[in-house]
Amino acid sequence: MFSEKLTEKTRREMMKLAAAGVFTTTASGWLPVLAKAAPAGGTGKAKSCIVLYMDGGPSHKDTWDLKPESKGAGEFKPIKTAASGIEISEHLPKVAGVMNHGTIVRGMSTPEGAHPRAKYYLHTGYREGQGGVIYPSIGSTVAHQVGKADAAMPNYVAIGGRSYGSGFLGPKYQPLLITDAARGVEDLKTAVSAAQFGNRVGLLEQMEKAFHGELGADPANDHKTTYERAVKLMQSKEAKAFDIAGDPAKSKYGSGKFAEGVLMARRLVEVGVPFVEVALGGWDTHQDNFARVKNLSGQVDAALSALVTDLKERGLLDSTLVVWMGEFGRTPNINNRGANPGRDHYPKAWSLAMFGGGMKGGRVIGKTDKEGATVAERPTSGQDFLATVCELMGIDYTKKNETPSGRPIQIVEKAKPFTKDIV
Amino acid sequence: MRSRSFAFFLLSAALVIAAGDLTPSAAQEKKNKKAKAVDAPATPTAGAKPLDAILKDVSKPAAPPVAVPNKKDPAALAKLIDAEVNKKLAADKVPGSPRASDEEFLRRAYLDIVGVIPGAEAARAFLDSTDPQKRERLIDQLLADERFGRRMADLWTAKLFPKDSANRFVAKEPLHKWFEAEFNKNEGWDKLTTKLVTATGTVADNPAVSYFMANRSVDKLTDTTAQHFLGIQLQCAQCHNHPFTSWKQTEYWAMATFYSKVKADNPKNANKGGDPLQNGVQEGPGRSKGKDFFPEAAKNLPAKFLGGPEPALGAAEPFRPALAKWMTAPGNPFFAKALVNRTWAHLFGRGFVNPVDDMLPENEASHPELLAALAAHVATTGEYDLKYLLKAICLSDAYQRTSKPTADNKADTALFSHMTVKVMSPEQLYDSLGTVTVASKTDAKQGKAQIGAAKGVKVGARDQFVNFFLAGAETVNATEYEAGIPQALRLMNSNVMNNPAAARAVVGGTKKPEEAIERIYLAALSRRPTATEVKNLTAYVTRVGADTAYSDILWAVLNSSEFTLVR
Repeated sequence: MFSEKLTEKTRREMMKLAAAGVFTTTASGWLPVLAKAAPAGGTGKAKSCIVLYMDGGPSHKDTWDLKPESKGAGEFKPIKTAASGIEISEHLPKVAGVMNHGTIVRGMSTPEGAHPRAKYYLHTGYREGQGGVIYPSIGSTVAHQVGKADAAMPNYVAIGGRSYGSGFLGPKYQPLLITDAARGVEDLKTAVSAAQFGNRVGLLEQMEKAFHGELGADPANDHKTTYERAVKLMQSKEAKAFDIAGDPAKSKYGSGKFAEGVLMARRLVEVGVPFVEVALGGWDTHQDNFARVKNLSGQVDAALSALVTDLKERGLLDSTLVVWMGEFGRTPNINNRGANPGRDHYPKAWSLAMFGGGMKGGRVIGKTDKEGATVAERPTSGQDFLATVCELMGIDYTKKNETPSGRPIQIVEKAKPFTKDIV
Repeated sequence: MRSRSFAFFLLSAALVIAAGDLTPSAAQEKKNKKAKAVDAPATPTAGAKPLDAILKDVSKPAAPPVAVPNKKDPAALAKLIDAEVNKKLAADKVPGSPRASDEEFLRRAYLDIVGVIPGAEAARAFLDSTDPQKRERLIDQLLADERFGRRMADLWTAKLFPKDSANRFVAKEPLHKWFEAEFNKNEGWDKLTTKLVTATGTVADNPAVSYFMANRSVDKLTDTTAQHFLGIQLQCAQCHNHPFTSWKQTEYWAMATFYSKVKADNPKNANKGGDPLQNGVQEGPGRSKGKDFFPEAAKNLPAKFLGGPEPALGAAEPFRPALAKWMTAPGNPFFAKALVNRTWAHLFGRGFVNPVDDMLPENEASHPELLAALAAHVATTGEYDLKYLLKAICLSDAYQRTSKPTADNKADTALFSHMTVKVMSPEQLYDSLGTVTVASKTDAKQGKAQIGAAKGVKVGARDQFVNFFLAGAETVNATEYEAGIPQALRLMNSNVMNNPAAARAVVGGTKKPEEAIERIYLAALSRRPTATEVKNLTAYVTRVGADTAYSDILWAVLNSSEFTLVR
């Protein structure tokens, strides 16, 4: 509650230690240093996580949990996959080929049925407004817990769509936003020639040196560190990961913005970025569900299968957790909206899928009833799922972080992770 | 302290289990809506007291611990501030830093009061003035400046208009504009608060109702009232008895009852073809959804002032005016202290009590006598006059000290021995960059849009910029540099920061490098360059040529920590 004082004190002590050479990191990197000093809770070995975010709430009965015998079965047929006994939609044939690396969670059951609140909940593990705190998204939590404070590359990148931010962890753990993967990072390129930019940075350094000598305040140091990282990013080899144009594997991912985003995600993971989220919108299929889900499945099929195969080829699949998820599922019955009906929001029972990340693969967690309407086995909450992601990433989800006003908030609360059933 | 906060967590977890989770979750709200309407009459209990009698009891603050001026006298109040601050410094054997230079004071006063740096001309005029009263004159001038209202509106709109998906359809602009006008009018913090707390009508007629439109549940209103107007974090008590204070869960919901008769229109209606300005707030008899949010056990609690008595209120009369009268009464134990603490923090980067909105008795003030004296004075003789309070503090030596610590006061963070270095808020940064980079009207249009928004997006450039720098947070901490890499990239590489026309406009027609450099420094840093800076930069001009050099120097200055920090 009085952490402001505590923080100041801790910070001063840390700076003294840093000055004495105890830590080789910059003074402003103290937060992650503290985080790492805490005992590690999770045992997972994944170093990176890619979330493919299916914005709008994908229909579980038309993707991962088909019920051909049910009332609202729909048009799609199930097909066999590389994992024996697991069947998925016929419109995910390439994904079926890598299902031996995947885990389907069929018992998702969550409390929010409106898009903004459900997205918030699935990203943070908390209900919007709960306790008057703005909670960090899983991407910011990963950036905070395992990200490198002095790396040239950002620790959290969000591609193609609105993402959820760092909440009370503060702007340092915000995602770097990429609105269009083909165009790369906004403002990454200098507006002037490289030589002139070099001159400018030289002038800036000179000014900072004089100013810092005079003042030596914490915010001035933090300002310096941020600028150093930004300039380092502009000039780093790793930043080439943002440039997808010449990637030889490009065509495998399919075409369109989502395919480009997933390709960029793979390139970012290759250079050590710990968290990337790529959004694919259009899943809010109240109308014309089947034509739209078929089209979207095609995009997912190419990009997701190429991503898993590419990571496998590069020896990165074990250390990269790939998640396919939305904010809820869709009604087991088909509605009556006109000639091309659809399905409506349904948070009570739905599916998501995970690949790689040190999991055994070829597993299904949870089960719905014969209509796909209720969870029959192993109901899984958003907290259960996020805690599992944390554990796979080696993060202790029971760790508490303090809000600026000093309230300790657990990374994920009231969770029953299912990690031991999948690794 | 550490163990206390852990204990707090453990205890609170235990209490939630003991008390049952009473948080009004969305699911519960739905259930409640379906449940039979419980129009619980706020039947006063036997302990209820007539409102007039209660108000009489809080009509005077406790006698201040040190003598306060008996009329509105900023200089005398500044003297009192310095006596108290210096007494504490002497007791702790911490020396105060010397008085800030004119340059430092000028930029600080501008940013603190009107939220923007002075232009080159204003800077030059102030620095060159030999008037011994020029600091006081500047304070007066800035408090009378219309931008004062905007600065205050920025701060208060952020507090009272939460970023919340429920607020997608609520217009923020009317509330901001209303605050701007009210702060400029400066009729008194008590009156402004009363207008807000009792606001009724449509957004068009009374924009203050937007506060209710943006906080459409009794728990949000109760939390906000306590936090921002009374300096108390009450939200924990919504679900469980507060382990370290007297705030019981019943106390919370009894306070919430004051808002239980508020009826706010659903902003979504406006989205479906209606006019958002015709949405509004009513309070009166008849059923309101207010009580839907209450836990069952709290539905029949009569309204009761926080830590105070229960007023005898008729079921038919509105409740909010009674709440406002109690809150703003000179003897209210929280209201004036919260105002003083917050105003102090506004100028010094930290309050007498920190966090500023957690003024528990256990959270000791660094200067309890000064806090009590200022609060008692402001609530009575001072007429809750915000500009008066700001002026008095700005006149004090404490405020006018340099931020540069001495060897002996470096370690001090709580006694105000030297000024805290603050970081520009996103609004301050946007407005200040605008004063330097906007070279023409076309630039003002295009340039602001460019720096504010992702390329190609034009809407609400200032809001876009602020949101980009807030990056999802509700507010920024004034003493931490919190911007990240995307923000630094935007500041270094966006077009508006690289506009050669801006540098040309700042430099003007001069052919002399020393003069050009001075103009850049005055425009951006509100000071003249030092001899060493002139020497180095003149050499740079010779090396790369005037035009390029000036835009390079302006770029570097705008990206420097000196620009973005408030010393």
